[in-house]
Amino acid sequence: MKTVLYIGAAIAAAALLALPIFGDLGTMNLVIKIMIAAIFALGFNLLWGQAGLPSFGHAAYYGIGTFATIYMMNAIDRGGWFPTPLLPLVGAGAGFAFGLVAGWFATIRSGVYFAMITVALAELVSAIALKWEGLFGGEAGIRSIRTDWGPFSFQSTTSVYWLTLIWMLLVMAFLFGLQRSPFGLVVRGIRERELRVRFLGYDTHRVKTLVFAISAAVSGLAGGLLAISDESASMVLFQGSGSAFVVLNTVIGGAGVFLGPVIGAALTTSFAYFGANLSHFWMLYLGIAFVVTVMYAPQGIGGAIAQRARAVKAGEKAAFGTGDLIGIVAFALTFLGLIFLIEITGTICSEQYRASIASAKGVWPPVRLLGYDFNPLSPLPWLIGLLSLGAGIAIVVAQPHLRRPRLLDLVTTKAEAGK
Amino acid sequence: MLNVTDLHAAYGNIKVLNGVTLSVPGGSIATILGRNGSGRSSTCKAVMGLLPPMRGQVTLKGKELAGLPAHEISRAGIGYVPEDRQVFKNLSVEENFKIGIQPAKAGRAAWTVDELLDVFPRLRERRHIKAGFLSGGEQQMLTLFRTLLTNPDVMLIDEPTEGLAPKVVEALAEVILEMKRRGLALLLLEQKLAMVMRLTDRVFVMGRGEIVFSGSVADFQADDAVRRTWLEVS
Repeated sequence: MKTVLYIGAAIAAAALLALPIFGDLGTMNLVIKIMIAAIFALGFNLLWGQAGLPSFGHAAYYGIGTFATIYMMNAIDRGGWFPTPLLPLVGAGAGFAFGLVAGWFATIRSGVYFAMITVALAELVSAIALKWEGLFGGEAGIRSIRTDWGPFSFQSTTSVYWLTLIWMLLVMAFLFGLQRSPFGLVVRGIRERELRVRFLGYDTHRVKTLVFAISAAVSGLAGGLLAISDESASMVLFQGSGSAFVVLNTVIGGAGVFLGPVIGAALTTSFAYFGANLSHFWMLYLGIAFVVTVMYAPQGIGGAIAQRARAVKAGEKAAFGTGDLIGIVAFALTFLGLIFLIEITGTICSEQYRASIASAKGVWPPVRLLGYDFNPLSPLPWLIGLLSLGAGIAIVVAQPHLRRPRLLDLVTTKAEAGK
Repeated sequence: MLNVTDLHAAYGNIKVLNGVTLSVPGGSIATILGRNGSGRSSTCKAVMGLLPPMRGQVTLKGKELAGLPAHEISRAGIGYVPEDRQVFKNLSVEENFKIGIQPAKAGRAAWTVDELLDVFPRLRERRHIKAGFLSGGEQQMLTLFRTLLTNPDVMLIDEPTEGLAPKVVEALAEVILEMKRRGLALLLLEQKLAMVMRLTDRVFVMGRGEIVFSGSVADFQADDAVRRTWLEVS
């Protein structure tokens, strides 16, 4: 099993190293965004996966990191001395400072109350960003430019790519070391039984505040990299969707596995990148993917892989069996059916489509789907959708190992972890 | 070493401790007996700062502890093994040990994981598995050892023998005697008389939030009235 892991790591490393040589600009930008989302999610998961504290307002620290970095970039542009490659540390510092204050308040409580406080604090920051145009630039946001440092030029996308990659590896090494340190052990102890940790002589409120601030610092560092990559910051960063996406990435990838959030970030960011070109409804598909993950793999994709790897090692399961094949077929059919139904319904309900009916004098134009034209008035596309969906669900229901949704398990494990 | 003087405490309006006074010198074992609800566990909680004392003193080697938060009381040298011993289920046995380790107090040898595992070798075989998979008795021993590794001066153990197999009780007795030999002050809370009677130096009996008897094991055994009034369930 270890060999598989090393081979996987080697392939990933080779792909990351080769990308600037073979990849086009679009792909490189995508991977930069994935790495930024991965750092953000890793920071978030320090708080959730390790300390058991679910923050639903982490966009605040990400956004603060972005703005702080943009201001520093402007200062460099005006002749400041700060080295460009270290700019993410400005984001991290800002995130840490705000995280200390917010974390001190939020970690007075645990579980749902903690989560509510984080949401409230994020909304507060968002409201301030909206009103305070002088500092946050209003709807237009603030722009800046990357300045070269010594012999290093930062004008190309490739340079931003290398910088982001190096910072991602540094953050991973830091967080991995932290997780294994005595401090990380105390943090995990707090997730399990906070009161017992106090009996062992630790001021748990102080530990929780610190871990919150470190998590906010890593999020701010990710925000700093975004500032370098985009050369701009806007108050949109503070909106709730940013906080939601990092939760989504972590849940889909798996909070209990170190690289889980990275897997989630890679999947959702790629999905947003490609999906947005393919369909207007890509966010709906992402939502469905989230629900399916929570139901069938509450430990996330990374967690499911780790679990399977352990079962294979113990000789309980094959690495890939017929059951998995049936599962994949069932999900593929279900999704195919959903795609037909959602795309056709969505398209014919759109204003644009209404307008084209009017311009064609009442004739319904065909809907293009998966490379074919379908007449929305014929039963064919609807039948394909319904039959495919029905067949997929029927297989799921007939297979005992697929049937049981584990939603409640997730809720209970998280509730226990929050105690 | 541990001195509790005139300790009063309440849950809301319900008074549970009405002036508890007791002391446990270093290198000795004291046991508090009493029925359910007599105030045994509340005494421990008040000493540990979980139940804020309304009045009275708790001192350890002369240092006042009443009113401090739980982690500072632990740092001052009191180890507490509560009744509902809970291990960190998703941490390995070894991590459960490591999380508690504190340096020894001046002039006392530190407890080591190895010597504790010698007393109860079953945990050594299982040190890499998650503590949640241990049996009840193993989890109890793990909690006790984890607390001992904070190298406290005083150990408060609530119902040490509850639900333990006889063989485990033997291992436990051995550790308790070793703690005494090393000069710790031990305060055990028990409902049952059997095991502790051969270990303890001093007996306290609690009833209605007060100490109603205090004396040696011989005194206690000679006093039928105390047993009848405060311990036996009629």
